[in-house]
Amino acid sequence: MNLTDVKNLFKYNIPGISIPIYKFLIFIVVIFVSIIIAQIVKINIRRTFKERVPKTTLSLMEKIAYYGILIIGFLAALGNLGFQLSGLLFTGGIIGIVIGFASQTVVSNLVSGLFLLIEKPIKVGDGVSIGDVSGVVKDIRVLSTTIRTWDGIYVRLPNEKVFTSNIQNFVAHAARRFEYKIGIRYKDDAEKAMEIIKNLLEEHPLILKEPAPQVFVAELGDSSVVLAVRIWAPSQHWFSVRTEMLWKIKVALEKEGIQIPFPQRVIWMAGKTEG
Amino acid sequence: MFGKYKLSLQLKEKDIEITIDGRGKRRRYYRKVGEEEEEKYIYAENGEIVICPVEPVNLPKEGTAEHLLIELEKSIIIEPNVKDSFYVKFPIEIGVFLIDKTDVERIDIFTRVKPKYILYGSPESGIICRWWKSNVYNDVPEVDRTYEGVMKVDIKNSYKEWVEIKKLVFRAFDMKIFYDGYAYMHSQVEILKKLMGETSFIKRRPKGMKESIDIYLAKGIKRFEKKFVMEWGFK
Repeated sequence: MNLTDVKNLFKYNIPGISIPIYKFLIFIVVIFVSIIIAQIVKINIRRTFKERVPKTTLSLMEKIAYYGILIIGFLAALGNLGFQLSGLLFTGGIIGIVIGFASQTVVSNLVSGLFLLIEKPIKVGDGVSIGDVSGVVKDIRVLSTTIRTWDGIYVRLPNEKVFTSNIQNFVAHAARRFEYKIGIRYKDDAEKAMEIIKNLLEEHPLILKEPAPQVFVAELGDSSVVLAVRIWAPSQHWFSVRTEMLWKIKVALEKEGIQIPFPQRVIWMAGKTEG
Repeated sequence: MFGKYKLSLQLKEKDIEITIDGRGKRRRYYRKVGEEEEEKYIYAENGEIVICPVEPVNLPKEGTAEHLLIELEKSIIIEPNVKDSFYVKFPIEIGVFLIDKTDVERIDIFTRVKPKYILYGSPESGIICRWWKSNVYNDVPEVDRTYEGVMKVDIKNSYKEWVEIKKLVFRAFDMKIFYDGYAYMHSQVEILKKLMGETSFIKRRPKGMKESIDIYLAKGIKRFEKKFVMEWGFK
């Protein structure tokens, strides 16, 4: 086979689709080059922004850049094959509408996912409650969000559900408050009890200095004087502080002779004479 | 206590005890502060131990805060367009590191004081800071080097009105601690508005002092942000 034969071979049409082989090869090369460029851009975006932007935003940036370059490359390659891009866009539009109608849920999840990434009511690693699911956000993908519940169960929520549900993010703010109600006997010194509790709270490193904890008599109950203890702690650690402090308060009060009474009721017997 | 040691040491200062013993590759690290103890095994033949003050935001739980708030016992009221300097004390944590030519490995971090944290700003947008209260000193104050250091503060009021300063907030990422007998930092505070200022650190090493190991670099975290903007005021 001489050089002329090779040139002629490249001019041959691919049977059935009347596109010369060399144009088809250029199409393949353009697609291949655009994949390489997209990979390089993706890697560079990751390197540059890895420690500057949150993981979810980085993932979105990578995907937009990667698929954007692929689409541009694909359209450029199609132009080389002689396809009219306007016609393609028209056809694409029609197909898009058909697919859109056929996959409303998918599109709805996709759009909700994009809004979640823009609005950022939750982030990967946040402790949240979405509708009736509570746990830690493990991943926010384009179509779904995955949660590991507090008891370790994997839950996949469609983004549309996440977007339309009430979301409680337990760690969105730097600090959060929790409260205990502690009853003491009527005969105990409430002032002393409050002082003991305040000293105990002051000792704990993760109970915030400001907003300062509050300890006060909240209620004169049926069986006890009810003290309210309001504590602010860093959102990341509030649960460990909450589980730790209640027992410590109980122990500290009892050490000073202040007791938490059982519910009690005084019964007066009718007809019983005095003396 | 601060300095570089071989892989065998025995130190005691106040209620701090640090021991590294053992032979050959296998060593035992033991530390006691008050009632709190820590014990680890080190499998190493080469390398040295560095004990130095580190940024005071690692205890009791790492990642709790990235800022230090120093509350001044007495406020400073500063006139417009005035520059001045004063000293405050700041809390330190003590880091024990294993270093060789290529790597720095953290063995332990401890402190003699119980840390306390505070919210600077509002709960929805504020930040958690390590809290410390200090007097304001005209000259370098005497410190207990086992739990506190000295910070020189260069302050400048660039605002057109008098401003009262009751607290200063510094970014731990930006800190540069030096040590000799005690820990030392040099900070800058610029008041930009009545409720806004910028704090940063001067990184130049004072003569005769050594540079502490940067806890963030030791953890492999690169630093990007430098100055801290105090946007929730000084009181």
